[in-house]
Amino acid sequence: MQRVAVVGAGTMGRTHANIYASMPNSEVVAICDLRIEAAQELADSLSTRAFAKLEDALKEIEFDVVDICTPTPTHLDNIKTAAAAGKHIACEKPLARTISQAMEAQRICEEAGVTLFVGHVVRWFPEYRRLKALVDSGAIGETVMVRATRGNVAFGDSDNWFANLQMSGGAVLDLIIHDIDWLRWCYGKVRRVYAKGLYASQVSGMDHTLVTLRFDNGVIAHIEGNWARPDGFRTEVEIAGTEGLLEYSSTKSMPLIIKHRSSDGTNATTYVPDFVATRTPYYCELEHFSNCLEDGKTPDVTGEDGVEAIRICEAALKSISTGEPITLA
Amino acid sequence: MTPVKIGMMSFAHMHAFSYAAALKELDCVEFIGVADDDKDRAKKVGSDLGVESFAEYEDLLATDVQGIIVCSENIHHRRHVVVAAQHNKHVMCEKPLSVSNEDAEAMIEVCKRANVKLLTAFPCRFHPAFLQLKQSVDNGDLGKLLAIKATNQGKCPWGWFVDKSLSGGGAVIDHTVHVVDLMRCMSGSEPVRVYAEIDNRMHKKDFDDTGILTVEFANGLYATVDASWSRPKSYATWGNVKLDVVGTDGIAAMNMFAQQIDGFYDKNMSYTYDYWGENSDLNLVASFARCIGEDMAPEVTGEDGARALAVALAAYESAKTGKPVSLV
Repeated sequence: MQRVAVVGAGTMGRTHANIYASMPNSEVVAICDLRIEAAQELADSLSTRAFAKLEDALKEIEFDVVDICTPTPTHLDNIKTAAAAGKHIACEKPLARTISQAMEAQRICEEAGVTLFVGHVVRWFPEYRRLKALVDSGAIGETVMVRATRGNVAFGDSDNWFANLQMSGGAVLDLIIHDIDWLRWCYGKVRRVYAKGLYASQVSGMDHTLVTLRFDNGVIAHIEGNWARPDGFRTEVEIAGTEGLLEYSSTKSMPLIIKHRSSDGTNATTYVPDFVATRTPYYCELEHFSNCLEDGKTPDVTGEDGVEAIRICEAALKSISTGEPITLA
Repeated sequence: MTPVKIGMMSFAHMHAFSYAAALKELDCVEFIGVADDDKDRAKKVGSDLGVESFAEYEDLLATDVQGIIVCSENIHHRRHVVVAAQHNKHVMCEKPLSVSNEDAEAMIEVCKRANVKLLTAFPCRFHPAFLQLKQSVDNGDLGKLLAIKATNQGKCPWGWFVDKSLSGGGAVIDHTVHVVDLMRCMSGSEPVRVYAEIDNRMHKKDFDDTGILTVEFANGLYATVDASWSRPKSYATWGNVKLDVVGTDGIAAMNMFAQQIDGFYDKNMSYTYDYWGENSDLNLVASFARCIGEDMAPEVTGEDGARALAVALAAYESAKTGKPVSLV
């Protein structure tokens, strides 16, 4: 049985806490958030305790795991605290705001002998797992070119922390890091990065980026991160191989669409479920993490994976600011 | 209006057949005939289309034909455009306009001096999906343009297209120019810097088959172009032309050939898309005839062809040097 303290009671913190509470081999023992009302509300809903800080929880209760779902720039401090207390760690992606922070996080966890898992959850999305399985099966021969798209609504004048690109790293570090991690999982090491984007531009309320990656094995990947869509979240992947092509689009993969009719006969609202699955990718991800801890195994996403994804994101941000291609050592 | 007399030089490029069908269909055109380096092809095309086939280009050019459509291998565009212009014939030249910036400039100069019109065959300019997108951009619906993600992906055309001594390059020279032209037309801005990752891993032969270009425009707009022969032989259609546009006030997605019927055929166990949208080749040829008949400036010029070509050539240089290339 894993006893888990969830740090951060925002969207991801709520998601993770509810999953731990529903899993047979784990239990949520604390919700920590500086916004104590948010912590208390989530804690109440799970009949557990609320704390402002992880340090407070460590003083008062016993647990095994810290799950960090706080704003990106605070990840490192929480990892330091958790590792110093000998707790295993699941950290939401990105592992940290900068490559140096990420490397420090990885080193600290290694030295403390605690497991560091990074929430690159796309590896548990069934469509992305299936795409990788098809590629690995040789169904389309050798991969030559991959195109990935990830879009979400613009944040507009939201005061959410991720709307501050300096804090979140914008579409590169917060959005397409998912695709970057998945591509690394599929194709290994990235050699060269070239990118354009609105990061650090005068445009506010949205972000957008187009990134080209060249892998050591020759694969060329193109990734769009579009934090400017008025029409909500969507993803696409296309993989061109020497003997075939795979095309996936979230908009073509909706098994259920519910449209409410308004009094004038037109569509009032459209409801499309986020997941049409018995168990969500987030559940599968955290179940994997939990099982690895129980069985003493290394999780499929390691601290090193978290570091390497950020190395590529940081190269993309550098390319955006310098206008030059960045070659990775 | 008296029909405009138009003839065709070379059917090496398959688009020639579509332009020929347009010449037959348009009431404003009198299809004078065809000539080809490949004499047998000229004879066959002439008899198939029911028009005269001339033994030599000179014979076609010696008639009172007013306009010539050149669809030879890329490397021959300069020679054929120049000889037509020297006979005072207006010219529509298949894209890419040529295989070098020097050739393109020479072609433009010769046509200018001969006082004949030079039109680059960019039919996508005449597709209503693009025209409506451009109208929307011009109206300011999207606000200021920030970014464009474009694809022009297709199946490998083989034949002379993969022989660089005839084509001047592979997928990148073949597929960059259409969408770069659309971007220039829509943004009203010129490309100033190009970076590209280009390779031949799809077919592992002596021609490029895959490329991702990143193009910066003078007004700060950035764009990528997927210029690739990356559709497999089994793909349901020839390829695509797509623009995903991001502006300060909105986004637009143009998929030019989305008007299609999905067909499943037991006869050959195949699945294909059947396009039912507008024929932009017909609109292009009509525009060529109109600019001759009404003595107007061409809607797509030789300069447009040269600017788009320069981006493709810069992409090859960037891929070779590993550095972004500035266009001046």
